[in-house]
Amino acid sequence: MVALVLILTLVVLLLGILVAGLLRSHADILKALHDLGAGVGDPATAGSDGHDHRNGDMAARSVPVPFTMGPQLPGERDSVSAPTIAGVTPGGDALAMAVTGHDTLTLIAFLSSGCATCAGFWEAFQRPGELGLPEGIRLVVVTKGPELEIPAEVQAKSQSRLPVIMSTEAWGDYEVPGSPFFVLVDGKAGRRIGEGVANHFSQVAELVRRAEVDVRAFGLASRSRAFADGLDGPARESANDDELLAAGIHPGHQSLYPKSLADVFPPEVVPDPVGRIG
Amino acid sequence: MAKLRAHGISATLPDGFEGRIFIRPRLTGESSYPVAHFATFPLPADVADFGGGAVTLMGPNDIFAVLFEYGPESVGTQLFARQGMQRSLEPADFRPTLLRRGLGGQSGTQWFFTEAGRPFTFYAVLGSHARNRILIPQVNALLTSLTVSPQPLSASPGTAPWN
Repeated sequence: MVALVLILTLVVLLLGILVAGLLRSHADILKALHDLGAGVGDPATAGSDGHDHRNGDMAARSVPVPFTMGPQLPGERDSVSAPTIAGVTPGGDALAMAVTGHDTLTLIAFLSSGCATCAGFWEAFQRPGELGLPEGIRLVVVTKGPELEIPAEVQAKSQSRLPVIMSTEAWGDYEVPGSPFFVLVDGKAGRRIGEGVANHFSQVAELVRRAEVDVRAFGLASRSRAFADGLDGPARESANDDELLAAGIHPGHQSLYPKSLADVFPPEVVPDPVGRIG
Repeated sequence: MAKLRAHGISATLPDGFEGRIFIRPRLTGESSYPVAHFATFPLPADVADFGGGAVTLMGPNDIFAVLFEYGPESVGTQLFARQGMQRSLEPADFRPTLLRRGLGGQSGTQWFFTEAGRPFTFYAVLGSHARNRILIPQVNALLTSLTVSPQPLSASPGTAPWN
């Protein structure tokens, strides 16, 4: 019995020493943080610089922690504006094409003379009549300007009567991520209604056909307010949320979680896995 | 605003305009000089020098304009005696009878002049003469934006796809 009491006393003593050590360690950490300026304590007692000046020596020894801002993140991509495309032709003439302010749909093909994927498109454009685009669609090819492309090479690839504009500025205006890249503009709505990439022109033509049918059948005005108003970024997202809520589609609604493409598109109109058009 | 510059002619296009500045390929025995087309509607690929193939597509709110250069033999002739391009036009300057192709409702104007030592004519068509007070300021904005620089009159022809 005496031995048991001695052992318990010894254990309690050891635990007491351990707790004291932990408290001391914690105090050291708090002190170090305080010295670094990450004040700990009642903010009401802190000075105008955010430090606790209850201990003058400690405040004097505080080390400012450098805090630098990283580079500003790029803003959201403008995917609706459709400025006039202006530049020179491979032959040295000047050409500007207004893609808004009229009733025409314009398909802009951003191509390069050296890109391997573009070769198929250059080839297809030699026979504009066989492209399969709906009647009345204006097609224009835009390469980078003569400072970044060799006009003779572009000219060699563009022997058809399709207009070719060399304009680095247009690539910037439309924020083209690379070639090939296609943009469809509704001249009446004054905005882009689709853009994306494709491997074959037949894919582009099919998407343009669908977009053309949509525009002709429904008109942009019957689409969402955000679409018709040309909103983009957070404003568009917010407007779309408002419309969904007004239609009774709340967060968690089953229509927001389709289990297959067939839930979204009827089987006969499942889209090709290319860019967004329409 | 989009800027166009070629063959010694430049333009800062007013909103709504598109355009092209080009030289047609020379045919045997012919000379070819710069032509500039401007329009507020989509210009088709095949447009004659003075708007054939385009003016029939115009709506009542549309404008078509041409700046056409003549050969050096025209410099100093009576027709091109006016020095400098007219930069401001009035409703009285537009008449249906001035159209190269008389289309109902349209009206036009044409001026011959010498600018920077080069002989030109400027020809413009309004889609609707009744709307001339709305359309003429747009023509004047275009005229104000046009500049011509002296250059040899034997400029080489372009090879624009629409030629």
